[in-house]
Amino acid sequence: MIINVIVIMIRIATLCLSLFIPMAIVAQQSPSTKTKSIDLGLGVASSQGTLSAAYVYDWNLGKKEKFIFGIGGRITTYVGANQYYSTAPADITSGSTGPGVFFKEDIVENIDTFLIAKPRVVAFNTMINLGYKITQKISLGFNIDVIGFSVGNKTQGNYINGSQGQIVEAKPTAFNLLLVSDNDLGSLNSEFYGKYKLNEKISLKAAFQFLFTEYTTEIAVQQFPEPNDRFRNKSSMFSAGVSFHLN
Amino acid sequence: MKKIIILMFITAVISCKEEDATPTGPINDVFDPTTATLLKSGTLVGIGHTVSGTASLYESGGKKIVLLDPYDSQNGPDLKVYLSKDVNASSYISLGALKSITGKQSYEVPGNPDAAEYNYIMVWCEQFTVVFGRAEIKK
Repeated sequence: MIINVIVIMIRIATLCLSLFIPMAIVAQQSPSTKTKSIDLGLGVASSQGTLSAAYVYDWNLGKKEKFIFGIGGRITTYVGANQYYSTAPADITSGSTGPGVFFKEDIVENIDTFLIAKPRVVAFNTMINLGYKITQKISLGFNIDVIGFSVGNKTQGNYINGSQGQIVEAKPTAFNLLLVSDNDLGSLNSEFYGKYKLNEKISLKAAFQFLFTEYTTEIAVQQFPEPNDRFRNKSSMFSAGVSFHLN
Repeated sequence: MKKIIILMFITAVISCKEEDATPTGPINDVFDPTTATLLKSGTLVGIGHTVSGTASLYESGGKKIVLLDPYDSQNGPDLKVYLSKDVNASSYISLGALKSITGKQSYEVPGNPDAAEYNYIMVWCEQFTVVFGRAEIKK
């Protein structure tokens, strides 16, 4: 239930993102204050956690410069224990691809499980940041990875399909790309966050983090309704961190 | 500060749920092997864990039955019994959770597969993707 709510939130945020892209163009053309920062974060949940580091370049937009639009790069290190990954491709989970997937329910009978005892993924992604300054000290926002790549060791996992199963090796999916819903590829991080500015140099940050990590098996273990080697884990966790303002 | 962050991170990651351990009381299933046909059998060997006994595959009334008798092993989380085609469990049938770490126990094999294709009976820690013990079964 919680996961469904989060997925809907992410979907809405993704739509908002597409509406805000023109802001990037506006930001470059209109006078605005530019800020640079480095964000460090620690996310935790049951049997899993993340460490993330991001460099973010923000434009403060609007008359009062309350709107924030930024771009940056983020490294997310994910560590888990005994995590269940599910069939990833949208054409299998939803029966179709394209933006329509956004509104479709999963086809439960098409979704198989891949259990990984020690998932370890390091994702390098470019990201987009959107925010709003409530006061001079407090801001709220959302950020999401857009494109990048992932690395990680090959590991054994257990493909489980009812009483049938296979032990096979898998690696983190190399290419990451934000598309729509289950069309996404690879490992992508996102956060709904709040920041409190302690001083000109440092802000404290609290976030609700939603992370996709994805593994590709060495053979297409899933055969129904079509061959598939991609499995995704959707993690939600709370994170805390610090922003260091560079100017 | 750095040490505190690392400690928090490690604590969060290793704080697993309570282990789903196998029952420890002796078991004595009612399956009577004298009324069934023995297809294959082998000796259980521990793989990095203590496992001993005999694992056999029987046919009875058109169904395949795996029998562990005798059986003894150390305990562990989420132990399952697999009937596998090969030593790596690259294709297996799960027979369900190990009933007990000691005693005679039988498991019906779902789907009535071809016995010739399956050559190993394994005790597998599913949660950690680790084999506990296995028996190569032969005619």
